[in-house]
Amino acid sequence: MMQFFKETHVDFLKLRRAGYFFSGTLLLISLVSLLLHGGPKYGIDFTGGTSLELRFEKPISAGEIRSSLSQAGYGTAEIKHIGAADENQFIIRLEKSAEGTQIGQVVEQQLRSSFPDNPYEVLMVQEIGPKIGGELRRAAVMAILIALFGILVYISWRFEFKFAVGAVLALFHDVIITLGFFSVLNLEITLVVIAAFLTIVGYSLNDTIVVFDRIRENLKVLRRENLYNIINISINQTLNRTINTSLTTLLVVFALYLFGGEVIHDFAFALLVGILIGTYSSIFIASPLVYEWEAKTEATKGKSAILRKA
Amino acid sequence: MQKGLYTKIIFVIVLLILAGISLYPTFQFTGLQEKETALIKQLAEVSGLTKAQIEEGLVAGDLEARLRKQAPAASIDQAVELGRRLTDLSKKVNSIERRAIKRGLDLQGGVYMVYEADLPQLLRNLAKNPDDRLNEIIEETKKTVEERGLDFFSVLEDNFKKRGIELNRYFGRKGETNDKVIAELKKEAEDAVDRTLEVLRNRIDQFGVSEPMITKQGNNRIIIELAGIQSIQRARNIISSTALLEFKLVQPAEMVWSVLDDIDRVMRIKQKGAAAAQEDTAKTKSATPEGPKAKETEVSLSYLFGEKGAETPSEDEKVVVDENTFSDRPFSSLLRQLQGRNFIAVPMKNVYAVQRILQLPEVKEVIPPDAEFLFGNAPMTLGEEQYQRLYLVKKEPELLGEMLSDASVQVSTGSTSLNAGAPYVSMELNSEGAKIFSKVTGMNVGRELAIVLDGKVASAPVIQTKITTGSAMIEGSFTMEEAKDLALILRAGALPAPLYPITENTVGPSLGQDSIQKGQFSAIVGFILVVLYMIFYYRLSGVVADFALLLNMVFILAVMAAFHATLTMPGIAGIILTLGMAVDANVLIFERIREELRTGKTIRAAIDAGYGRALVTILDANITTLISAVVLYSFGTGPVKGFALTLSIGIIVSMFTAIFVTRLIFDFVTSRYAIKKLSI
Repeated sequence: MMQFFKETHVDFLKLRRAGYFFSGTLLLISLVSLLLHGGPKYGIDFTGGTSLELRFEKPISAGEIRSSLSQAGYGTAEIKHIGAADENQFIIRLEKSAEGTQIGQVVEQQLRSSFPDNPYEVLMVQEIGPKIGGELRRAAVMAILIALFGILVYISWRFEFKFAVGAVLALFHDVIITLGFFSVLNLEITLVVIAAFLTIVGYSLNDTIVVFDRIRENLKVLRRENLYNIINISINQTLNRTINTSLTTLLVVFALYLFGGEVIHDFAFALLVGILIGTYSSIFIASPLVYEWEAKTEATKGKSAILRKA
Repeated sequence: MQKGLYTKIIFVIVLLILAGISLYPTFQFTGLQEKETALIKQLAEVSGLTKAQIEEGLVAGDLEARLRKQAPAASIDQAVELGRRLTDLSKKVNSIERRAIKRGLDLQGGVYMVYEADLPQLLRNLAKNPDDRLNEIIEETKKTVEERGLDFFSVLEDNFKKRGIELNRYFGRKGETNDKVIAELKKEAEDAVDRTLEVLRNRIDQFGVSEPMITKQGNNRIIIELAGIQSIQRARNIISSTALLEFKLVQPAEMVWSVLDDIDRVMRIKQKGAAAAQEDTAKTKSATPEGPKAKETEVSLSYLFGEKGAETPSEDEKVVVDENTFSDRPFSSLLRQLQGRNFIAVPMKNVYAVQRILQLPEVKEVIPPDAEFLFGNAPMTLGEEQYQRLYLVKKEPELLGEMLSDASVQVSTGSTSLNAGAPYVSMELNSEGAKIFSKVTGMNVGRELAIVLDGKVASAPVIQTKITTGSAMIEGSFTMEEAKDLALILRAGALPAPLYPITENTVGPSLGQDSIQKGQFSAIVGFILVVLYMIFYYRLSGVVADFALLLNMVFILAVMAAFHATLTMPGIAGIILTLGMAVDANVLIFERIREELRTGKTIRAAIDAGYGRALVTILDANITTLISAVVLYSFGTGPVKGFALTLSIGIIVSMFTAIFVTRLIFDFVTSRYAIKKLSI
């Protein structure tokens, strides 16, 4: 029988202070970075603007493209070479535009007339008005809040409100830290990245619930044990599963990250970070938070409500 | 027990067969599509046409005609043969495509556009007596709506209330309640969008995209999705060009002849060289093009253009010219003057040549700056030949379609010059338009006034008398259907609420190809890694889990095919993610079985307990993920929706394969063989 850990007896709850410290540091870095950058860096999905991805037939430099665009009054465009070095592929990005103007076409025209003997193929053009950008931003925030609320309700119903709060706090923890990674690395938040965030929420919760489930079961089986030991035993018992599932998921997400191509790159990166953080938080944050709360209640009221109920 | 086991096995097999049936068209489609791509490539080499031209020909259904016209003579038979095969294949591909998994724009290239009605402008147009105060209210409403994303009309109503003004001060009738006025305005906006929807549908149908999606979103938005088109620029032009209606005066005959003379001279110079042309200058004044019965002969296009190697005209590029006048008047000889009247027609065969000549820079130079040539919008048949009319009109329009207030189809009663029962389109102009129209008709009695729609002349009636009523009509040999369409386009041209694009996403076909390849490759790599890991960790039980995983993939795709769901790149990502997460259920079960085995239970008991205890956990864990996936699906757009869809399907399917199917395998094996040790 292949096994990573045989009958572990790690005192995870004893390690919780170290966990809080580690998480606290990460959260602090994330929040400071977000503050310094003035919030998340939204991609054009959310701010509106124009993005063109072009592949030229012959070699061309970003400088040449820029000077051509300057003539049309778009000298501030962000021009990025992408793909392999020998591929003349560029992303041209322009800031917010007035509603209804079609900058993309103007830019295409300009480049065509500037480089008549170097035709290009349009790989992708995105033209997003500021209004729809704002709408999407609101919709994204709404989606995350509704998802969190739904989860809160479901866990409260299946477990107990305290567990739900522990799980949801752990989720906020995961999302903020992943957001922090994006902010520190100056990556953009696009619609696809939001999808990744919601997946992280779902995934991290998956992990947390497996542990909670074992706690609930052990509360019934190990009636003599105190909550501290029950939580520790439960985390240890599910450790192999946690590691295994995280590993298989990381394997595929890593494949996505390496081979999935430009479109999916940021999405895979967010998942990569999120799954690592989510796995960590379900062990070191979610369950300890439930214990913390329970221990406080115990100190004031005498006996643990969760234990008594079980 | 045994009996139940077999029922379950049969159940799974039936599901597999159903999945196979559902997936078969997709497999077929992929294979045929590869064949099609190869054939297009081959044809492109043989005929010299570009891929885009071939695709266009396929869509328009005139590939063979195009090949005959444009392919080099030496390989024309081969090209036509290939073209026929391609046309047949393409029909087959199209019919199968309908039953295959639909690929999103990002996987096959295409255009996604969102248009919105300009509500502030609509209000200004509708207002009885717009003033600064109204503008102020509209601007404020616009700002609030943009910032907070509320409903335009309710914010408008609030803003009116805040100022204590009744809406009927500007809109609707006196004494009407705010509610009623708002309802009317809403209807007006919706109506405008509906009309535009119709026009866009018409246009896109003409463009011939295989599965266009044109839908209304909310009250004032239109979403257009065109998948798999090769010429994005053309699609864009067709969609975003407005139904532009103009009234232009037709230039008098004398001017037409003199312009034709000038073009003839230019063409002679092109053909014979400048020196020869000067000798000829003297002779040009005389003849005009003769009637349609003139003696005709065929010459090559390249000869016409004075290009080299033109001595032997090839079959494909012949034009019909008037033999008597060809050498003197190379351009006019392409044209025919009809019925002794002052209008010129171009035989269909020559239209392309005429268009090309009119595009030549030296020809453009001799056309007066205030005039332009326009073709008619439909060919006319005279005798056995088809002709396209050509008009020389004043460049500056007298009147624009914006001044149109309504257009409708009427049927002629037969008392006038019109044929009895023939439909025509009658138009009503607004007050400003009527004023201008009255002036223009009054000053130009006896002249023709061309009604120009999107750069083509719909008709050019002679102005009989000054028209002061503000109504005009377009006659022509319309069918009822055509007349209706025209009226519709005209009404849309006079849209009270202009539309503007708010989002336009275009994905080139080659990026789509790229995405598919990368998606497939990463899926395969991910799948192999997980498969190996599971076998490495759980041995034979790992193989069972891997089998379930494979089924999982098959069922996800089958469900997508059955419901004709759209597969997008983020959708592929969702499937790949499911790969990793789908084994979670098996990991939970296997770990549990191991624990039970360790407590000394028998294999059967351990399996029972493992599945039983893990089930609750699996349900809890998956339902929470499903909650976020469903939220993603209902609130997300575009990429997010595709991802959520495959993730949701994946979660549901994986619960079935990972719990039901693996259990079945364990039960089957343990009931048939006396297993002493479980490989787990």
